[in-house]
Amino acid sequence: MGSMSPAFYPIRQAMKPSTILNCTTEYRTKTGLNIVLCLKEDYDISILKGMCSMEGFAPWAAVIIFLLMFILIILDKFERHWVTLSCAAAVLIIVFGICLHSWPDVWEVINLNSIFTTSFWIGPSESSSVGINWSTIIFIAGMMVMVEGMAQQGFFRWLCLWIARLVKYRASRIFLAFMVMSFLLAMFIDSITVILFLAAVTVELGKLLHFNPVPIILSEIFCANLGGSATMCGDPPNIIIGTSLHLSFADFIVNTGLLAFVSLFLVMLWFWLCYHKRLQKSEKYVQTMTVFPDPKEAIENKTGFIVSAMIFLLAIVLLVSHAQTGLTVAFIGAFIALVTLLAAGKHVPELLKQIDYKTLLFFIGLFVVVGGLEETDVLTVIADLIARISGGNMVPVVLIIIWVSAAASAFVDNIPFSAVMVPVIRTLSAVYGLDLNVLAWTLSMGTDIGGSATPIGASANVVGTAVAMKNGYPISWKSYMKTAVPATILVISVSSLLILIRYVWI
Amino acid sequence: MKPLIISIDRQYGSGGRDIAHILEKKFDIPYYHHRLLREVGIHQDYDIDEIRDMYDESPRYLTASRRVRGLVNSNEENITQREFEFLRSMAQQGKSFVVIGHCSEELLRDYGVISIFITGDDDFKLKRTMEKYHEDEAAARARMKRFDRKRKNYHNYYTNTKWGDVRNYDITMNSSRLGVEKTADFLEAYIRQRMEEAEKASEE
Repeated sequence: MGSMSPAFYPIRQAMKPSTILNCTTEYRTKTGLNIVLCLKEDYDISILKGMCSMEGFAPWAAVIIFLLMFILIILDKFERHWVTLSCAAAVLIIVFGICLHSWPDVWEVINLNSIFTTSFWIGPSESSSVGINWSTIIFIAGMMVMVEGMAQQGFFRWLCLWIARLVKYRASRIFLAFMVMSFLLAMFIDSITVILFLAAVTVELGKLLHFNPVPIILSEIFCANLGGSATMCGDPPNIIIGTSLHLSFADFIVNTGLLAFVSLFLVMLWFWLCYHKRLQKSEKYVQTMTVFPDPKEAIENKTGFIVSAMIFLLAIVLLVSHAQTGLTVAFIGAFIALVTLLAAGKHVPELLKQIDYKTLLFFIGLFVVVGGLEETDVLTVIADLIARISGGNMVPVVLIIIWVSAAASAFVDNIPFSAVMVPVIRTLSAVYGLDLNVLAWTLSMGTDIGGSATPIGASANVVGTAVAMKNGYPISWKSYMKTAVPATILVISVSSLLILIRYVWI
Repeated sequence: MKPLIISIDRQYGSGGRDIAHILEKKFDIPYYHHRLLREVGIHQDYDIDEIRDMYDESPRYLTASRRVRGLVNSNEENITQREFEFLRSMAQQGKSFVVIGHCSEELLRDYGVISIFITGDDDFKLKRTMEKYHEDEAAARARMKRFDRKRKNYHNYYTNTKWGDVRNYDITMNSSRLGVEKTADFLEAYIRQRMEEAEKASEE
């Protein structure tokens, strides 16, 4: 096991007060800054040259820009895509241009040339390891087009109402069925869309059937995040992990998928124990009702509805079989978008208007900022820190990654977090010989599930609680976390244990 | 008759709410304070007083909420936006009402609102607060400070003007000089004068 010596380790060593004795040398940097060095006589001046040069400042600039980006996202004064794009421009100009004088690195981080290679569309290689992950961008854009097409045709509303009718509009059965539906849909569709529709229909059914929709919405949110962890395309962190580390849909489903399915059973049991009495109380009212909503009312155009459902099925087939067909997720995203647009006919402009291009721009900016951290070895330092704490052993590394990822994702957006952590686990694997795939599953479960713990941890939580509030059901942090935190701890504990049993101990 | 919209903002303990109540009766128009919460559709299962204490007239806590696709999961902001929509729609419909707080002097500026800010001497506010909540001096002072800070942050978050800045209000009054009732009488006279002037202006 080798030890790392990243660019700015000497800075910390040089700053130790014990090394300072007297002022002996005056040093003039490239920017004309006069620095009087206070050194022990035997101290190597070359160490400090790196620190004082603009090159030595690059990692600090990258870290400062990254932290600034995080703070600006939290402050929400500007739209977050402008924040990441501005910070990306700052990284390109300050870090790569001014500090590193490395304009070729700018091109490498922008990574546009990867799109024009055959392997980007067909083959085992998904994406370049540094900079903008265009596979993720194109796949997410493609799925957005498909989902908008399905929403326009009333697919999600029809599905929700059809399931509600199937379980005879009993609140406790709707509760269980919607948890499973949320899990299954989020395996293939982004959890924001899943919750947007599920929560809205849940509120509507709640008003009609006289039950409180909040317990069901909270359970749906958790199951959507859990379902997202089961596949490569379910949650943005998984798309980033999968495309960056060249993992397939099948790789995810037999690893994180298995963990997610086991967890689903436990989570359903947990939420059932928490809420079923409250929901059963409202079921007496249903027996007095004579008129129920007809799922068919959700469909305006039957042909369009069938076509959108077929496109969804095609997307699932292509994703499930992409390791066998050799089609990359970027290809699948682009192809599905094209088919959806062809099927939309005259509704294309309407459909394109609904695309959340802000999220795509957010991702582009984010990848550049993370590329800045990666190129300046900052992430190597984090990897080295984890390795030092764990002694390079797999058990503590797994436990640190899953629990730290879960705790961090509970409070900060798990998308930037996972984008940062992918290069970290790649370094851990390359330098310390740890199994990269195991680290990938660990990171995936930590970021996807950790985000469920608080109302701000994942986008689905934000959307679900916002929809509830807009309909007159405010959800406090306390009431959210009362059930979500134990459920998160339960799933993370079970996942940690199963990962260790399956990949480390046996 | 032109619609009458009275906006009253106030320092904690200054008697702004009592003055609003008196004006409600004098002019026989509805008074919106925490009743606003029911008007904006908070479900009846919720304890409205609890919701008011937790979320009403509170700024959005940036670290405790996020925005995704235009949806924000801050209860404070969602309630505020719905209250703003409700107040605007009432003004657009030409309804008369008294509203307390809720940035209404700024929100309803284009609807001919009569805006009033009630302030008071510390001793006056402190005595009222201690009597109302049966608290000792330290607890009452802390309560006044907490609520004034909350109202200021709320106002300054949602508007481009400063809470309590005399330039934003038609009239700013210190209720400790005349007491709550006489302050309300004075304001009644002022409002009636304003109504007359408005009628004359519309006739011309």
